[in-house]
Amino acid sequence: MPPEQPPILEMGHISKRFAATQALSDVSFVLHPGEVHALLGENGAGKSTLIKIISGVHKADSGSIAIDGQPVSFNNPREAQARGIATIYQELSLYPDLTVAENIFMGHAPRRKFGPVSVLDWDAMFSRAQELLESLNITDMDVRRKVGTLTVGNRQRVEIAKALSLNARVLIMDEPTAALTEADVQRLFEIVRLLKTRGVAIVYISHRLAEVYEVCDRVTVLRDGHYIDSKPVSATTEADLVSMMVGRTIDNLFPKITAKIGQPVLEVRNLTRKPLTRDVSLTVRAGEIVGLAGLVGSGRSELAQVIFGFTPAESGEIRIDGKVVKVRTPGDAMRHGIAYVPEDRGTQGLVRQMRVRENVSLTVLRSLASGLFINSQSERQLAEEKVKEMGVKTPSIEQIVGKLSGGNQQKVVVGKWLATHPRVLIMDEPTRGIDVGAKAEIHRLMSELAGQGLAIIMISSELPEVLGMSDRVLVMRGGQFVAEYSREEATQEKVVTAMMTEHGSTAA
Amino acid sequence: MTTTTRPSGDTPEQMSSRLRSFLLRQEVILLIISLLAVMFLAFGSDRFLTANNLLNQGRLLTEIGLVALSMTFIIITGGIDLSVGSILGLCAIVLGVMWDPKGAFAFPLEVAVLICLLVGIVAGFVNGLIIVRLGVPPLITTLATLALYRGLAEGISQARSVRGYPEEFYVLGQGEFLGVPTQLWVLLIFCIITAVVLSRTVFGRATYAIGNNELGARFSGLPVGRYKILIYTFSGFMAALAAWIFVSRVSTTRSDMGSGLELDAIAAVVLGGTSIFGGSGSIIGTIIGFILIQLLKNGLALSGVTTDGTIVVIGTVLILAILVNNFIQRRSGNG
Repeated sequence: MPPEQPPILEMGHISKRFAATQALSDVSFVLHPGEVHALLGENGAGKSTLIKIISGVHKADSGSIAIDGQPVSFNNPREAQARGIATIYQELSLYPDLTVAENIFMGHAPRRKFGPVSVLDWDAMFSRAQELLESLNITDMDVRRKVGTLTVGNRQRVEIAKALSLNARVLIMDEPTAALTEADVQRLFEIVRLLKTRGVAIVYISHRLAEVYEVCDRVTVLRDGHYIDSKPVSATTEADLVSMMVGRTIDNLFPKITAKIGQPVLEVRNLTRKPLTRDVSLTVRAGEIVGLAGLVGSGRSELAQVIFGFTPAESGEIRIDGKVVKVRTPGDAMRHGIAYVPEDRGTQGLVRQMRVRENVSLTVLRSLASGLFINSQSERQLAEEKVKEMGVKTPSIEQIVGKLSGGNQQKVVVGKWLATHPRVLIMDEPTRGIDVGAKAEIHRLMSELAGQGLAIIMISSELPEVLGMSDRVLVMRGGQFVAEYSREEATQEKVVTAMMTEHGSTAA
Repeated sequence: MTTTTRPSGDTPEQMSSRLRSFLLRQEVILLIISLLAVMFLAFGSDRFLTANNLLNQGRLLTEIGLVALSMTFIIITGGIDLSVGSILGLCAIVLGVMWDPKGAFAFPLEVAVLICLLVGIVAGFVNGLIIVRLGVPPLITTLATLALYRGLAEGISQARSVRGYPEEFYVLGQGEFLGVPTQLWVLLIFCIITAVVLSRTVFGRATYAIGNNELGARFSGLPVGRYKILIYTFSGFMAALAAWIFVSRVSTTRSDMGSGLELDAIAAVVLGGTSIFGGSGSIIGTIIGFILIQLLKNGLALSGVTTDGTIVVIGTVLILAILVNNFIQRRSGNG
């Protein structure tokens, strides 16, 4: 991006306070047309607050915002939208029961006069939606299809098209790849590059440093609400960025310690639950971390939920320590020492409105009870113990879990499952959407647990994580295992090839 | 949510902030509103604030109170039970028809009461079964059974009423124990039981967890389906108990008994600060809620306000209480 081009967006000395927390103090941010600008920082560093100020959701307490050199002040997201600022949030905000075209033109659909009344011009809407998608090189999407039937990747493309239909000149992407498969990520990058050539400025938030190097031009790092630095990406190394974010150096992102591998703990034989678990057999030994790789929709989480009894198997058997066990409900799984840290901590892993103490004890309420009553002293003790053991950063065990950062929430989920003293721990996307520091802590914890003889299954869509943490990598496709690699054999190329052959692409 | 005792040694600031948050709880606000209402109503009629009148009101509120207690559990799980009034009517009719010496069954009174309670339990269990196993939303399920159970009650009664129960049967609805109406003791016992269950037991904790995040509760290995069926069954039982007390109080059995009861019960629960979306609420709030509703009804009637006028006032109080609560929740950043 030629630096002589004037900035499209300039934010100077922005501060913002929420009740007791100073979310941002004196943060500046400059964005030029045609650049992809990475915004980095651990969770809680103030990235979300900053983008919410840009997009008009929050108002800054002090500081200035200028667009094309003119000072502006947004009272609501509509005003920001009118000035060409569009945001694509982590939780996609589309209407699943409406068509692609309707979603793209929500709120500004083409109309035509029908006598005295103005009605929706469906033909124009469909054809303009088609044109928009084609301008993004998306040719494989039916604009009449309901958004709810699309893959996550395609839904995101609809979001991008929607932003462009509003003539967005600044596009904010908040962790756009968090829920995407490798193939979808590549398509997203193509779109990002295309938009760049058209002069759209992109604010890119991601926890994956590799992506920053792949698509971003500049990077701004925030830490604890403070501006740390802003540099061209080419002038930094991954280690630089990490140390800027955490304020310390992290030598190894995946501190894998090889544990002594013992006897088989979990043996799964011919497990079937159609359509996404088909005749699956798997053995996990004490001290072993088995990584499950695969595209989204390949059946990894489904398999985990069959083993956990959430969606019990139609046929096949599960053995723990060589003994066949019946797992019809999660309660059964727990009794047999199977624990599952689910993919979505907000809706599956936690009860966010409840306290840390209440979340930690939820899995073991029965054993904490004397008779019918919860023993509140042992409950508090357990919660204090797990908070300490996991290193959860919380003012107290009485804190509402939803108010913690993602990484700390995840530690609470892991803690509540370790409270059940499991033999087998299934972790589904254990580090999705959490900051680098917390991620390293979770990885270290996994190594420690394996060292204590736990059998661990890790499902992850982040290949470096799978390769870095696993003793063995299994690749799933279409509800079956299609490849198996030892830690030494596994390479990114081999795993990706196994994940994607036959289909090659996941476009729906 | 329940208040918990925390380690002592808090700073004065912490104490004052805890005092503030205590004063801002819906239950406390409601209590203040209730006291204001009592003061106001006492001016309207000198018969209102007498021990005799208040105890008599206790008789009248027991049925709504019992049903509101179990309704609190249901609403905390995010559900609703519209069929309680109809279950009450059905159970009352069953009690009368089973006992009626001139009828086909002519069972002893004890057996008739037992069957009455059993019918309530089954009716509630059926609600729970449909909601949990068939996945029909509680609103739809109980709207359907509201019609179904009332229809059964009318079919069984054949528009006849049963009266002439033996004297000892009236002890529950018309007698007193230690100077207090008998049914108030029953209500008191159930208030204590439900308050303890909700705030101190595994079951109570699970109730809140289900209301806040049912999926999360299931992923935590809680038997969510079983708990929900149990809660609806309990609601049926409470409606049957209320039916027994109702029949004993009014000395007769009719099929239209208890119609509209569900609305009073739900109003009491919501007035008491239980979120209609589930996840939060308390028994103490519900208790204040049904007492306030009964006091308003009675006090306004004594002040010469017509029944229609009373309903308008109760509706207004309900809306005001919720608005005040929302306002405070938002101010304190919990909304």
